[in-house]
Amino acid sequence: MRMSTTAIVTRNLDWSDAATSEPYEAGWAETALIFVRALRPAVGKPGRAHVEISPDGMRWVREGTSFDLPAERDAITFARVSQFGNWLRLACDFEEGSSVRVLVTLHLKS
Amino acid sequence: MPPNPRIGSHDHATLSRFDPLSRIICLDDFDRGFCGWTQLVGNYEDDLDAMLPGYAQHSSPMLSTIGNWDSGSHGGVDGDYVLKIATPPRAGAQNVAIKRLTFRQPGPIRLEAYVTFKPEASELRLSETDIRSFGFLFDLQGSDQAGPGSERVMPHVRFLNASDGKHVQKWQFKRQAVPIVPIGTDNKTISHYHLAPDGWEDLEGGEQRLCYNEIPTKINWHYLRFDFDLAAMQCTHFQCNDRVFDVSGFDSLRIPAMKNLWCMLNIAFFAETDTDKRAFLYLDSVCLSGDF
Repeated sequence: MRMSTTAIVTRNLDWSDAATSEPYEAGWAETALIFVRALRPAVGKPGRAHVEISPDGMRWVREGTSFDLPAERDAITFARVSQFGNWLRLACDFEEGSSVRVLVTLHLKS
Repeated sequence: MPPNPRIGSHDHATLSRFDPLSRIICLDDFDRGFCGWTQLVGNYEDDLDAMLPGYAQHSSPMLSTIGNWDSGSHGGVDGDYVLKIATPPRAGAQNVAIKRLTFRQPGPIRLEAYVTFKPEASELRLSETDIRSFGFLFDLQGSDQAGPGSERVMPHVRFLNASDGKHVQKWQFKRQAVPIVPIGTDNKTISHYHLAPDGWEDLEGGEQRLCYNEIPTKINWHYLRFDFDLAAMQCTHFQCNDRVFDVSGFDSLRIPAMKNLWCMLNIAFFAETDTDKRAFLYLDSVCLSGDF
């Protein structure tokens, strides 16, 4: 049986500026689906999310996948990634004064 | 099909590292996956804002090969993967992984585990005082047939590694209850952050210098054993590596039984950082056994 798991990496935090999720190790997984759910309506302009990878969990580079963060309450946006090595996180950028409260979940499958 | 002798020998070798009681309740080798270990999420009702801050900081455990920037993957005792509990990079931050069971007989149980700890290797120095503590706890409640004196009993053990930069290195326990906070408006849920920094007491003779290898990317595994009697709700043995500690002064956090937690048998491991650096607690394997 293939292995899979759901990991909650950010819960009920306001993301603004250049916030990131905590690093997550997923070297056993072949694919990852990253969902971001807005728990409240966004303030200001919607932000943009970027998948980041890392050789060591401390130094990060953009993987190349980016997507808009959700703006309406309970709206969900997502990205699919593969061949990410071991480390994954989501980074974002917002215009000054903009933010959104998020639930970020990783869905990993071997 | 004949049994695979390699699988059999591996299982035997895994179990041989433990001294279990007569029945294995679970033998969790994280080379097999998460084995039912998940994050300890706080209680809430209607709104996640109701979650106490201590719980709000928790996140999901992960499967790690203990990959290091300078030396690559360290691996576990006998395989590639271990369970990793990582705190946020904020002094005093904690994280907890939990496994939730119930018990079928109130008698002796034994928790054994191979664990190690290290801070994130973000500096080229030993960093031996960057982790404040790691430890484990049970969350237990007697049977619904146990009568009016039934309690929720929570034995806590931690290794206080460092405090405000001082390398303390001693085992502690906690029996002092923390404030219970009602959650929501339906009178069905409460919360209490029992891992709050207050109320820890020194275990008699509990000083121990553990193997903390010479740079932040080298780890060594430690054996833990904790015996508890679910009938008497008392600790009967605590051991780390070669040291067996006197538990005659040990007691647990005790609060009145709750109306929906009968026969609860939860086990949790936790990590706590003393600096603005992530603390990592790694579990190679956990064995819970019982005498029934």
